[in-house]
Formats: sequence, structure tokens, C-alpha cells
Amino acid sequence: MSHKQLLVIDDESDIREVVKLSLQLTEDWTVMTANGGAAGMALALSTEPDAILLDVMMPDMDGPSTLRVLQRQGATRSIPVIFLTAKVQAADRQKFMQLGVWGIIPKPFDPLTLGQQIKDVLSWP
Amino acid sequence: MTAKRKHSIRGKLTGIIMVTSTTAVLLTCLGFTVSGLLNLQKRLIADLSTIAHVVGSNSTAALTFGDRQAAREVLNALRAKPSIIAAGIYTARGEPFARYEPNASISIPATLMEDGFHERNDRLELYYAIHLDHQRLGTLYIATDTRDRNVRLKEYGEIAAGIVLFSLFVAFVLAAGLQRGISRPIVELARVARLVSQHKNYSMRAGRRLANNGDEISNLITGFNGMLAEIEQRDHKLLLYQTQLEETVACRTAELTYANEELLTAKNTAERIAEINAQLARESALILNSATDGILGVGLDNRVTFMNPAATQMLGMTLSELKEKSIHEAIHHSHADGTPWPESDCANTLAMRRGQSFKVTDQHFWRLDGTSFPVEYSSKPMLDEDGNQLGSVVIFRDVTERRAIERLKSEFVSTVSHELRTPLTSIRGALGLLGSGLLGSIGEKGQRMLEIAVSNTDRLVRLINDILDLERIGSGKVEIARSPVDANTVMVQALEGLQSMADEAGVRLTHVPAAGALWGDSDRIIQTLTNLLGNAIKFSPPDTTVTLTGVAGQTHFAFCVADQGRGIPDEKLDTIFERFSQIDASDSRDKGGSGLGLAICQSIVSAHGGRIWAESNRPSGSRFQFTIPLANSFVAATESESPAATAHQNGDAPSILVVEDDLDLARVMTTALQSHGIRTLHATRGSEAVQLCRQHQPSLIVLDLTLPDVDGFAVVSALRESPALAHIPLLVYSALDVGSADQPRLHLGHTEFLTKSRCSMADFEGHVIRLLELATSDTEGAQHVA
Repeated sequence: MSHKQLLVIDDESDIREVVKLSLQLTEDWTVMTANGGAAGMALALSTEPDAILLDVMMPDMDGPSTLRVLQRQGATRSIPVIFLTAKVQAADRQKFMQLGVWGIIPKPFDPLTLGQQIKDVLSWP
Repeated sequence: MTAKRKHSIRGKLTGIIMVTSTTAVLLTCLGFTVSGLLNLQKRLIADLSTIAHVVGSNSTAALTFGDRQAAREVLNALRAKPSIIAAGIYTARGEPFARYEPNASISIPATLMEDGFHERNDRLELYYAIHLDHQRLGTLYIATDTRDRNVRLKEYGEIAAGIVLFSLFVAFVLAAGLQRGISRPIVELARVARLVSQHKNYSMRAGRRLANNGDEISNLITGFNGMLAEIEQRDHKLLLYQTQLEETVACRTAELTYANEELLTAKNTAERIAEINAQLARESALILNSATDGILGVGLDNRVTFMNPAATQMLGMTLSELKEKSIHEAIHHSHADGTPWPESDCANTLAMRRGQSFKVTDQHFWRLDGTSFPVEYSSKPMLDEDGNQLGSVVIFRDVTERRAIERLKSEFVSTVSHELRTPLTSIRGALGLLGSGLLGSIGEKGQRMLEIAVSNTDRLVRLINDILDLERIGSGKVEIARSPVDANTVMVQALEGLQSMADEAGVRLTHVPAAGALWGDSDRIIQTLTNLLGNAIKFSPPDTTVTLTGVAGQTHFAFCVADQGRGIPDEKLDTIFERFSQIDASDSRDKGGSGLGLAICQSIVSAHGGRIWAESNRPSGSRFQFTIPLANSFVAATESESPAATAHQNGDAPSILVVEDDLDLARVMTTALQSHGIRTLHATRGSEAVQLCRQHQPSLIVLDLTLPDVDGFAVVSALRESPALAHIPLLVYSALDVGSADQPRLHLGHTEFLTKSRCSMADFEGHVIRLLELATSDTEGAQHVA
């Protein structure tokens, strides 16, 4: 299993921390975090992570806007994006899927199975 | 008085008697006088003739011998007769021969007159021829005085007059006495008659004493009295009748009075009713004027005839401004986004045309100034007593504020949900990591506390999820995406999802397969089944069975989840679907439920137009059942929400099968068609399409060519095999252009081709409607369009 790099973009520092710790403990991945769409975009461009976990509801630049920007950039277009969101309504899910995300993981998540959920979405072994 | 007397019966009778008797006496006297005169004349003539004969005979000798002396002596013998006043004898030659002239003043005539009697100058003269042996010797003249006779005549007259006068007197006296016998009864009669007529007293009678002698007068009196008796009797009867009549009249008057009173009462009642009606009319007007909803009366010409103040205020136009156009053109001409809204789709037009009520919740009305506002409105046909349509009544409400509040509420719930979830995410994550032991070991009690914290965090998350769910379904925010659903499939899917939970609880799950094509949202039906099965598992002790069964009724399919748990007390069976209702206060803590699961189930089932209920499962446990409409019944839960939905009930409406695997596009297509009052069926797969065609024989098939299982060509060839389906009109609605070489393979009934990218939804609707019209006129053929 190759070493993976993940970028977590969420405006909540607590969540960033929990996600980072969970993934580090369970999957041994390198987890980078950003506190918003702009910072996340910059980090994605510079590090080109294997996948991005993106929060939907964020101030300034929300998840879908960040996703659009990522999709427009050649360097980031192919990076799979997973929404990690508290918006769990079926209608929202459908709308998000149409935006071109790989998957949606609802908040709150189980820290012990979060890594596995990500792997399931991305078909990582 | 004289005249009266003259005309009285007594006077008349006296007169009659006197005239009669006087006439008789006069005639008698006249008779006697005439007879006496005639006798006197006769005797005079006879005496004169006798004297002449005697003197003639005695003088023949004196004449023959011319002895005048002797002739004188003969004549002197006449002295015995003093009535002879002159006499003479004449010779045959007519010369006086001898004379007798006692009175010197009277002499015999010098010339002779014809033989016979001549009367002149108070004397009667006779010339008598003296013969001897048939030889005339001479003529004798004798004159007698007639004055004696005249004196006699005068005497006769005086006597007669005396007699007449006397008899007149006698007659008068007699008449005066006699007439009384006749006149008295008549006078009496007249008197009585006068009295009767004067006093109207018919009990009076004319003297019966006078009526006893049996003559005509007595008959008259008897008759008169009889008549009086008759009159009196009639009078009496009349009186009787009159009395009766008066009684009758009194009776009738009483009746009339009563009737009159009744009439008066009726009139008063009518007046009161009229007053009440007027009051009602005033109240109605007041209600109409005070109503906060806009109320429009629409005539058969689609022109508004009435609007209440609320309508005027909301629409910002007066009745006269509104009247200028049809109601649809005036206030309903466009959608909210400004695209035109055909009048034929207007709920009011449909209400008028079909005579049905329609309720619309999501449309816009336009003001005169060109702005619009969201409305809920209903349009109801207005009928008179005989059921004739007079127009329609449109009642509308500006729902701008409500929409805003709903939006706020929805946003609030959504935001709160998110805001709660975010810290919970951190908590849940942190607790999970702590509990995992990956961050270092914690004591057993600490571990237990962490588990409690994790499980309650999970419960809190479920609660938030359920609240969000309930709010969205309850407010209709979550659309129930209806499509044909196979009952057995959803049952199997729900069971699969809960198998692990059942295994953990040691509960057996059994399933009795059942067939049924539902009309609903499969995700939501699965959610309901999952909820009920989850509850059943939670409340079942190990080694018991939870059974899922289903049965198709006429219009609905009924699911049943039965367990063998502790059951539900009867008094809680009805309230169990209320929010946060738990049988036992400790349930939610022990079983980790939110208390909203059944409320959500009820919301979902209601939104489908079904029913959910619980009952006890003898001998133990409970049974939860709910119903979902069958696809062929189409009794949609939203039946009165829009014209299209109502049209679902109309069995005569044409039905269209939309075969489209893109659910969003399918929904857009079916919604568009339903707005034309067309029933729609939807299939996502080719096999499903063929099955639905067999079941429902739609009027038209709209077919996408790329489908998950078999393609459109396969669907057409499958349909061609069935004679009943081979002639259904077909609209191939595909993303691909169908080449002319391929077209014959897609022919069913009348077949047309539309390419998705080349036509708008309006074009699509137009084609469908035209094809439906063609289908009814049964035309066949193929045509390539677009």
C-alpha cells in the first residue's frame, strides 16, 4: 500500500484535528489541512494530494465553489474530491453528486471507520 | 178628494149602477113616448079616415044632384068632432062645393092636393076621393088640428123626465147601499194591503168575515190572506235563513278572521325570513368584504363579475380594470419566471370545462403594475339549484409571507441541523478516538463512560436527522418522487439492510414474497419499512421472529411488519405515531430511538396517500401496517393539489408510458404531461416498460433508446409480438438521431422521432398532445420530425 497524501479542507479546526488524527492513527496517511476554500486551493496546487476531503458549508468560499475552482485548474482537476458534510438530505446528495464529487461522507463520522469509508469511495485497496 | 172619490171603487160602482139604471129608465120612457105618439097618429088617421068615409058616402047624393045645402048639412055634422078644424067638398073639377069652416081664420084650400094625408102647419089634412059606382064624384077635404097631439107629446116628455129623475134618486140610494157589499171587502183588502206595505207586517189579515160568502172577492181575500200567510211563512223562513246565514256568516267571519290571523302570522314570518335573508345577505356581503382571502366571481365568458375588497387590494386593480380581459389574461397569464401560461392549462379553465373543483398551491397571480405574487387558489364551478353552471368562484390567498416563513423555517432547521452537527462531529470523532484505545489505554470504567458518550452522541445525531427529515417531509419540502415500484423489491431491500441488526439481536427475519406494482417513492418506502422493521427487531426478545408480508388490495398495497415482542397496550395504539411518543419512558434511552421514527413513517405514508396503523399481534407482539397506492389506481396523494394530479383520477384521460432511465428528465417530462391532464406511467427499464404496456395498454409510448437493460429496439420488437400492443402510437425521444435505415425497426403504431438536443420541453409536449389527438382519430403512418 503506497503512502497517501490527503488534503482536508474544513473551516472548523476541531474537525480538522479529529480527521487528521483519525486518519493518521488508522491509515497512516499524510494528512494536510486547510481552514477554507482559498487556502485549500493553494495547498492543493502546491502539494497535489491523492484526494481531498472537502467541507460543504464554509464561510467565504463554500465546498461547491472550491470544487469548481479545483475542477478548472489542470493541476487539480483529476484529484478526487469527497464531500465531508453535515448536509445529508437526499436532494443535497443528488445535487452534490452531479457536481462531480467522488463521494459523500456524512458528518458526524466514525473516526475509526473514516479511512475505510474514504478507501471505499476511491476504490483504494 | 173628488178625484179620489171618482176613482174609488165605491164611486165607480155607484156610477155604474146609476148610469145603467138611468139608461134603462130613459130608454123605457122613450119607448113609451114613441109608442104613444105612434098610437095617437094612428088613431088620428083612423078617425079621419072613418070620418072621411062616412062624410064621403053621405055626400054622394048631394054631389050627384048638386044639392049644396045637403052637402053643407052633411059637413055640419062634423061639429061633433071639435078636433076637425076645417072640411070641404070639392067637385070633380075641383071647385069647392060645400065648406065647413068653424074657425073663421081657417079656410079650406083653394086648390086640391094629391089624395092622401098631408101634415102642415099644425094640422093633418086628408084629401079623400068620393066615388059612386066607380065614378069619381068629387074630393073631400078634412083638416084636423094636431096641436092636441103635440100637447100630449109634451106631457109624455115631462112624465118621462120625472120618472128618470126619480129613478136616478132611487138608483143612487140603492147603489149606495148595494155597492157596499162589493166595495167594503175590496176597500178592506186595500187598507190591509196598504198597512202591510206600510208596516211590512205580514201577520195582518184582511177581514175573514167578509170572505165567507164564497164569491170572487172572498176568493180574492182568501188568496190575499193565503199570500200573506205564504209571505209571512217565507218571511219566517227568510228570517230563519237569515239567522242561519248570520250564523254561517259569523262562522265564516270567524274562520276568515282566523285565516287572516294566520295570514298575518305567515306574513310576519315571511317578513322575518326576508329580514333574516336580508341580514344574511348583509352578513354574506360583510363576510365577503371582510374576508382576507381574495374572492372572484367568474362568468361563463371567463370574465370576472365580482371581486371583494381583499381581491382588489391584492391584485391592485379594480373590477372594471379586471373585466377588460378574461381572468386568465388579466392575472394568470404567465409563470413566475415570465414565460407565458396557456389558458388551456389554467385551473379555472379546467374547473369551468370539467365542472370540477381545482386547488392550486404553487402558482402566481399578476398585478396590474406587472408584478406577481405567489398564490394558493381554488377554482370551484358555480352551479345553480338545477345544476346548471353559471361560472366559477376563485378564492385566492397571497402566500408571499407564508412562503417566506416556510423558507425561513426550513433554512432555520437546516442551519440548526448543520450547526449542531458540526460540534457533534468533533465530539463524536474525539470520543471515538479516545474509546478506540489508539491514544492510550483508559481504565475500564473510563472506557464504559466513553461508550456511553459515543452511543448518546450517535443518538443525538439520529435525533437531529429525524427532526430534519420530519420537518422536510411534513412541510412537503421533500418531494415524493413517484414512479412505479415493485413491492417485493423494496421489501427485499429493506430486509437486507436490517439483516445484520437482526442477527445481532438474535431475531429471525422472515419474508413472505408478494407481488404488487406500487406508485410511490421507493427510497421513502424502504425508509418506512426499515424504520418499522428496526423497531420490531429492537423490541423483540432473542429467538423470536419478525415477519414482513404484503398484500395487494383494489387500490392500495398493504405492508405488514409483525413481531412477537412485548406488544403495545391498546390505549397506545393510536398515539404511538405522535412525535416523541414512547410506550415506556425508558425506551428511547435503552433502545436508542429518537422518538420520531413512527412520526416520520406516518408523514411518508400520508404523503403517498396511504394509511399507517398499529394493532396487537395475538398472542404476543404487535403488527404495524401501512398502505401505498397501486400504480394502476393512481389515486395520488396530491389529488387536489393541481389540475394534473386531479386528472389522474379521471379514468378517461389518456395515459402515456414514459420510458426514460434519467430520473430527473423523466420527472420533468411526466410533470409537464400531467399539467395537460394526461396520466403518466414511468418505466426506467425496458423490461419494466413492456410489463407496464401489458398491464395498462397506454395511449402513447414515449421511448428513450438507451436503457439500462435492453435498448429501445428490443422494447419495440417485444411489443410487436403482442397484437394488443403492436399498434400503440410511439414517440421515440432519444439523445441520438435515428437514421432512416433504423427507423423501420422502431415502428409500432403511428411513430414519430424527436431528438432531445433539438427540441425544447414545449416542443415535446406539443408533439405528445398532437400524437394523442392523432391516436384518437386512429391515423397511422410514420413521420420523421426534427
